[in-house]
Amino acid sequence: MRPIALKRISKPGLIIFTGFILVAVFSGLLSPYDPDARYEPYESPSEKHFLGTNDIGNDIFSELLHSSRVSLTVGLLTALIASGIGLFIGLVSGYFRGAIDEILMTVTDVVLMIPRIPLVIILAVFLRPSYWIIIIVLSLVWWTTTARVVRAKTLQIREMGFIDSAVTMGFSHRHIIFTDILPNVIFVLIPKFMLTVASAMISEASLSFLGLGDPTKKSWGMMIRYAFERGGFIQDMWWWYMAPGAAITLCVVSIVLIGFSLENTEPRISAFSAGRYE
Amino acid sequence: MKLRLMMCFALVMIMAGISVWAEGQQELQKKETILKIGTPNEIKSANIFSDYYLGIFAHISNPPLMKMDEKGNLTGLTAEEFEVSEDNKIWTFIIRDNLFWSDGKKVTAEDVVFSVKYTGDHNPNARWIKDTLEKTEVLDGNRAVFHFNKPYTRLNLEFATYNIFPEHVWKNIQDPMKYLNAGLNIGFGPFIIEKIDLDAGTVIFSQNPFWAGEKPSLDGFEIHIYKNSDILSLALEKGDVDTYYKYASSYPYAGLQRLEKTGGFAFSETLNMGLVFLAFNLEKKPFSNPVFREAFSYIINYEELLKLDALGYGKKPNRGFVPPSMGGYMETQALKYDPEKALELFDKAGYTEDKRKDLTLSVLVRSDWNRVAELIQDYLSAVGIVSTVRSLDLNSWAAEKDNFNYDVTITRTTPWGMLMHAGWGTGYYDSRRSGRGVLHSVEDPEFLNLCDIVLGTTDKNRLSELGEEVQDYYARNLPGIPLYWNTIVIPYNKDFTGWKPDPLYGIYNLDTFVTLKKKNNN
Amino acid sequence: MPTVYRKILRYAAAFIAVVTLTFIIPRLMPGDPVINLLGEDSTLSREQVEEIREELGLNKPLILQYGRYWKNIITADFGYSYHYNRKVLELISGRVGWTLLLILPSVIIGGVFGSFLGSRWGWRSEKKLSKAGSAIFLIFYSTPPFFLAMILLYLFSFKLGWFPLKGYYDSGSFRDILLHIILPVSVLSLFSLARNSMIIRGSVIQEKGNLYVLYARAKGLRSRAILIRHVFWNASLPLITIIALDFGFMFSGALFVEMVFSMNGMGTLLYDAVKSLDYPVLQGAFLIISWMIICANAAADLLYSFIDPRLRVHR
Repeated sequence: MRPIALKRISKPGLIIFTGFILVAVFSGLLSPYDPDARYEPYESPSEKHFLGTNDIGNDIFSELLHSSRVSLTVGLLTALIASGIGLFIGLVSGYFRGAIDEILMTVTDVVLMIPRIPLVIILAVFLRPSYWIIIIVLSLVWWTTTARVVRAKTLQIREMGFIDSAVTMGFSHRHIIFTDILPNVIFVLIPKFMLTVASAMISEASLSFLGLGDPTKKSWGMMIRYAFERGGFIQDMWWWYMAPGAAITLCVVSIVLIGFSLENTEPRISAFSAGRYE
Repeated sequence: MKLRLMMCFALVMIMAGISVWAEGQQELQKKETILKIGTPNEIKSANIFSDYYLGIFAHISNPPLMKMDEKGNLTGLTAEEFEVSEDNKIWTFIIRDNLFWSDGKKVTAEDVVFSVKYTGDHNPNARWIKDTLEKTEVLDGNRAVFHFNKPYTRLNLEFATYNIFPEHVWKNIQDPMKYLNAGLNIGFGPFIIEKIDLDAGTVIFSQNPFWAGEKPSLDGFEIHIYKNSDILSLALEKGDVDTYYKYASSYPYAGLQRLEKTGGFAFSETLNMGLVFLAFNLEKKPFSNPVFREAFSYIINYEELLKLDALGYGKKPNRGFVPPSMGGYMETQALKYDPEKALELFDKAGYTEDKRKDLTLSVLVRSDWNRVAELIQDYLSAVGIVSTVRSLDLNSWAAEKDNFNYDVTITRTTPWGMLMHAGWGTGYYDSRRSGRGVLHSVEDPEFLNLCDIVLGTTDKNRLSELGEEVQDYYARNLPGIPLYWNTIVIPYNKDFTGWKPDPLYGIYNLDTFVTLKKKNNN
Repeated sequence: MPTVYRKILRYAAAFIAVVTLTFIIPRLMPGDPVINLLGEDSTLSREQVEEIREELGLNKPLILQYGRYWKNIITADFGYSYHYNRKVLELISGRVGWTLLLILPSVIIGGVFGSFLGSRWGWRSEKKLSKAGSAIFLIFYSTPPFFLAMILLYLFSFKLGWFPLKGYYDSGSFRDILLHIILPVSVLSLFSLARNSMIIRGSVIQEKGNLYVLYARAKGLRSRAILIRHVFWNASLPLITIIALDFGFMFSGALFVEMVFSMNGMGTLLYDAVKSLDYPVLQGAFLIISWMIICANAAADLLYSFIDPRLRVHR
């Protein structure tokens, strides 16, 4: 990474996000109880249970820590797959230009214009809830901004003289892409990657709220859903739903800080494509 | 310049806000006594003939022939009494003399005969009428006679659910399934539907000017539809609605404590005739093995399930499946939680520890009972059995269970469902039946024969004997396991008294609306 | 190929893709549509179910239906819903107005205030107010929409009692409707506001550093003049394009808001149709929503290329 990026990266964002990752990895050690163990249900926060217990008696604090795994995994995996798709399409489109570019960009535009959440809802109901399905479905709709950004950067680099000379010298396209274009494009990819993680995490929470998440796995979205569905909301047990809600919000804030701080592309592209975030 | 634009905008918003607030202050106090009912049941179209829940709500404006009273006895509503021929093929209903449509005309046996035929002809749910009703006639002015081509022993029960429509209005409607009327719907009950406003989420009932029965003290009532259950609870607490109604369901138990604390609510409690249960796929291993099923029944902690899913509102179940609130209930052995015994029986069934490890059971659950599935999964892992849970909402679940894509499924029965077919829940198990909520999982000829015998008898004594045989069959074979028998708790504004909940429709019945009184606080 | 034709082709392709998608997906859905029409308690025999299926025509082969589907789209015949017992087109036209009632004000408020605040805070990014404001908006942006809606509903409608808890209206008067929609519109506006202000702010900050701003400063123009004349206009998108692009995003947000506030709009229509496997409604609703978004995007694209000459060549 270029030194300028390291200087620009949002420090608070980085610290908080790293914190979340650590919590997810070490949730086993950090949780006071086994998140699946059942105690007395509907308990308010006390010495014994820092955030009280939920409707079947699980310790909410342990649940909270443990849920970070699924929420973060869904976010990261979705972003990984989506970025992968976007990277591939963007590179191919920007490098080869011409007809391929036209076709791929048309596909990108089409996917961009399809209403995301409604489509995800339809597919989620059709395909039945399970986290893998959610990850795949979300990745299928989120690769578009990445593709555009990668394509723009690829085009930019493509225009530079040394690419043409490399081609003339006989280097294969694959070689050129990997050694000259990719390293520069990665730099543009990372902010978009982060922002996709953020969008994916919010989508997961939203899907869980609608009852389309995977009820057998603990995630922040599912915690909120059960809190609402099983009387946490009407019984004013605000700690039950505010904790995961705050967790999602805080995590997303940290990611967005990182993502926006790293954005270094031309303003035109950033503003225009940024308008497609959901 | 942009700043100025924004300031104008803000000013407009503020002015709008003030005028709205001012208008609110001026609203006149309504002097009428209106009951407001909040419900999460959704009405999809302004059609009292075809819409499922609107049809139920229309039981007040278009009362069916029969009703179930508080004790669960089937008595006459629109019909004063009924007669059945010896062979159970001819049913005669004698229509009351004092019923009038809201346009002044008298309700006649012709209206009744018309309604039944009409429903059979146009409503897919009532297909059976079209297939078996041979002829109808009206005798002596008030006798509606139905001739069927096969014997029916429980027609009176069926007729507790079908609304009666005015012939002079509906005979001119070609396609009643598509007909919409969001305004006044002509009815003959104590209250009639004045307006159905789906955008506001309300159905408004007002007094029938021609009602000749006991005069209700209510001036009218309103049904308010909420898409979000939590918000409905808030509305109840806030006083936007006076009571709660959800067909065949209790008020969410978790919200009861909060309502109790306000001191403004009283509660009606009745034991549900329906129940939450777990059914097996009897077609394949391991549940085709009766000893395995027996073993399974011991791994469930019924006490915990009752406590966590129904917050203790109810009873632990017995093997006979049918709850005490149902007519013909017979006490059978209680279901027990005994993991040790379970292990013994698993071994006896041929499923030793190693074999159990190899099992992966598929649990299919309707999404309302996710937590129950979670607990069942836990109980299974305690005896070394791995399971996967699939949670689907009603429609997707129905598709899967029809294809028998499960080892165990968790669902519920409704009071009506328990009465269907040969009664006592047989409608859920009989493999010859179809329906969205039914399992059609039992092919055992002993069971099917039993059902057929029930369907051929109207002799009350014989029927109660047969009812006991059915429950005995459940207890011996465990085609399904009841998980708990819950209590239906309905909160209502203390100011209203005179509630008469029945096992079928809870508080939503004609008697309640006629006797309901509101205490005047002024 | 001239850019304009290319664009038209793109949007046409988008439309075709959406139509095909709306055709395919509902038909791959699980479940027996006939069983879904019947009540939960009903117990019919298998023959009776098949009879009903035959009568309703729900057993015809797929390929024949695709062609007919296109014909229906063109003649605006979206079919019939057995769950609602109405023509799908009627159903949608009854609801789309309500959803737009929520979305349009939100998008406009979000766009206007968003770009104003965003550019202001971007230009004066060192000031405390800018930082605080941006931080608050960041939090709103990062909160899941349904969560914010539930909390605001709880605070303002329940605890404070200022607003009603459900529906678009009770009595139907203009003021009554206004009361009902203030809270949901506020929720949506907040999201739009937060999003737009952050994006604009980011752009302005970057543009600030560009050389030509230094040059303009060197020429001696006052601070505000620079902002308004050069930076804002170049760094951000014109208001109308922001609003148009927001449209698609708002539909998703509106779904959650409609659910929390018990409103009968396109969002809840789509969701209910999905849950009850009512595929004519599903197709129609999804199609109309997509179509509106495509139009909004096309409008934005068109306006944008007029405004920025650089972009016309860039493609």
